[in-house]
Amino acid sequence: MQNPRKPASRLSQTQAAWILLAPFLFTYGLFLIYPFFRGFWISLHDWNLLAVAFNPDAKQFVGLRNYERVMWGRNIEWGPLAAPFWQLLGIAGLAVSVLLRGTKRLSRFNAIALGVASVLVIILPGFHPGEEGRWYDRRFWPTVANTIVFVGLAVPGVTISALLLAAALNRETRAMGALRTLFFLSQVLSVTVVTLIWQIMFSPRQGLIANITETFGGTPINWLTDEQFAMAAIVIATIWWSLGIAMILFLAGLQDISKDIYEAAALDNAKGARAFWYVTLPNLKRTVTLVVVLQIILHFQVFGQSHLMTQGGPNDTTQVLVRYIYQTGFRDSELGRASAMAVFLFVIMGTFSVIQFIVGREKT
Amino acid sequence: MRNVLLTAACAATLATGAFAQEITLGRFFGACEDAGTDTTTSTGEACIIQSIINAADAELDGISINTLPTDWGNYYDQIKAAYAGGTPPDVHVMHRHRIPEFAGLGALAEISGDLEAAGIDPDDWSPAALEAVTYNGGIYGVPMDFHANLWHVNMEIMAEAGLVEDGKPVLPSSPEELLAHAQQVKEATGKDYLAADFAQFPIGVRVVLALIWQQGANIFTEDGTATINTEAGRNAVTAITQLFDAGLADPQLNYADSQQAFLNGEAAILVNGTWVVDFYTAEAAKEEVGLDDYYVADFPTLFDTGATWADSHMWAIPSTLDGEKKAAALKVLAFINDHNIDWARTGHMAVRKSVVESDAYRSLPHRDEYTGTAAIAKDTPPSQRYGAIQDVLNRELQAIWLTGKPVEDALDDAELEVQDLLDR
Repeated sequence: MQNPRKPASRLSQTQAAWILLAPFLFTYGLFLIYPFFRGFWISLHDWNLLAVAFNPDAKQFVGLRNYERVMWGRNIEWGPLAAPFWQLLGIAGLAVSVLLRGTKRLSRFNAIALGVASVLVIILPGFHPGEEGRWYDRRFWPTVANTIVFVGLAVPGVTISALLLAAALNRETRAMGALRTLFFLSQVLSVTVVTLIWQIMFSPRQGLIANITETFGGTPINWLTDEQFAMAAIVIATIWWSLGIAMILFLAGLQDISKDIYEAAALDNAKGARAFWYVTLPNLKRTVTLVVVLQIILHFQVFGQSHLMTQGGPNDTTQVLVRYIYQTGFRDSELGRASAMAVFLFVIMGTFSVIQFIVGREKT
Repeated sequence: MRNVLLTAACAATLATGAFAQEITLGRFFGACEDAGTDTTTSTGEACIIQSIINAADAELDGISINTLPTDWGNYYDQIKAAYAGGTPPDVHVMHRHRIPEFAGLGALAEISGDLEAAGIDPDDWSPAALEAVTYNGGIYGVPMDFHANLWHVNMEIMAEAGLVEDGKPVLPSSPEELLAHAQQVKEATGKDYLAADFAQFPIGVRVVLALIWQQGANIFTEDGTATINTEAGRNAVTAITQLFDAGLADPQLNYADSQQAFLNGEAAILVNGTWVVDFYTAEAAKEEVGLDDYYVADFPTLFDTGATWADSHMWAIPSTLDGEKKAAALKVLAFINDHNIDWARTGHMAVRKSVVESDAYRSLPHRDEYTGTAAIAKDTPPSQRYGAIQDVLNRELQAIWLTGKPVEDALDDAELEVQDLLDR
């Protein structure tokens, strides 16, 4: 029996696709695309949050001046050895990428990625204020550096501990199921609860950590107010908090690895740690990349841990980008400047999203 | 939780009748569960203010008050965002130092013409209180208190170190004497002389500011020139750092930890505000608390003239409010003004002459021990950048005592940044 309806009354595939996509596109446009362009628009203005609320004409178009005021300074110079450590590291990285690519031990994509990163490490730290010069905003770049340090510590921390936990918990027993739930539980807590728990843990007077140190005869560390430990403290809290999702992703990846491979490896005398290194890790490569890139994007947006546990202190050592944006926008009412910083953050995260997109399409 | 609140709000609306004006109220001071409606027995800022609000809700006909959930640290950010979004609370608390910022942009209602009709008598406010809520000749709020930094004293430790005379603590009158007293306490008891939050909230900043003012200087001038890396600035900072360097005070304690150290009886002096007097009095009365003999002293004069950091809490209404809503909001302000004596129980200084002169006020615990504070109360010149400036100072001072940044460098950097803020 053929379809009784006339073909003309049916929607073409393209039309149907558009209709089905419309609700998504509308929401996406309204809540993501529009706010993004509006944010960019605001960043081109001298825009006081309160003043504009009471008088819409109180804003003033200033072009790119907010960007200049945030990122640039007076008499900024570039020197090939202004920051020797970073710049030499960059040169070393560049050399390694050329060498490994030349001997075909690095894929083309990885070589280019390492090369680009190295060139950035050579160029960016080279900028510094010359004589009589200074940055217009002395806090911006140190804040960016703090954010990068945070990401650099939190991402490997989360990835490695989640991977080890997942490997240990990847068994079909009831106890392991219970433990998996337990480790995932921290993820469902809100940042306020997490930071509250860890503030108590880190307290030098009533905290668990201080009590343990004292039992062994040590003097307790003032984690949150000591320059050397404050960043470590918020990283530890973050790892504890965001372990869950990474662990679940790894568990899913682990369950995709065929048992046959392990059996074959066992015949070649690869068990335990050797099996983990030679069988598990290579098979998890894509999951690891996914987890790392997701975590990088996530942790660049760190805010609550720094805002609630250390208030950015001591001496700005835990001041991070989103907190600076928040303070500039709301405490100081300088929405234009804050938006300029937010656009900068968008560029960083956008870069990593593109990397993830490319890596995701690469054939393994 | 949200459902419970919504249900409660609905029930309250039904109970008070459909005609009740709902007034939203924003405040800091922290949360108090079960504050009740008895304004005369509650303890601590949070519970006293909430009991006054609850009483207003119960006693004012046709008005129901909805206290918005707000948080201490982000209060002004929240209020600003609410104003910017066009939904500010109908009544909210603020500090006098924020008036230039909020009133300057036209956010606050000028209420000098409405006070009398609402039953508020501005003539009963002390001249300083009236000045606190006045901006460019208009009145922008109802003052609630003066608060200032005090020295909270553990008399037991002071007595052990021989620093008590006629039942009063002997306090230093110069930076050198400060160091000597601190050494005396350390030798006699092994305990720290001074504790304060030098690591988190700007209590340390307020201590240094007071010491700068005591030398007749300030951190910036009325016309907007930062003057921080000065002899007065360096003297003020070194008066404090000498204690840290000699191991007689711990700069790493934050607000909660420094308070705990004092209550545990581990420090002779705690620098903190008027807002904790009734709380410490209650704690000292407890058996299990280390602090037993509690005394409150005016911030001592280490240099030429007396000065201590001070500010005022006040209640304001947004300029966008009108009609019955505004009348109802003013009634709430009047109710709070009527309960000035209850608020003074926290330890804050009252703003109404009739309250200050009353026996009930004079007989509040420890009140006679810090009567000199009102005369030495001081603050920085008014600025729209108050919050950011305090933050710069807090950061640079913390850099000195927490990370060993040279005093000269830190004050230099602070001066540059404050100048940047003043120029913006």
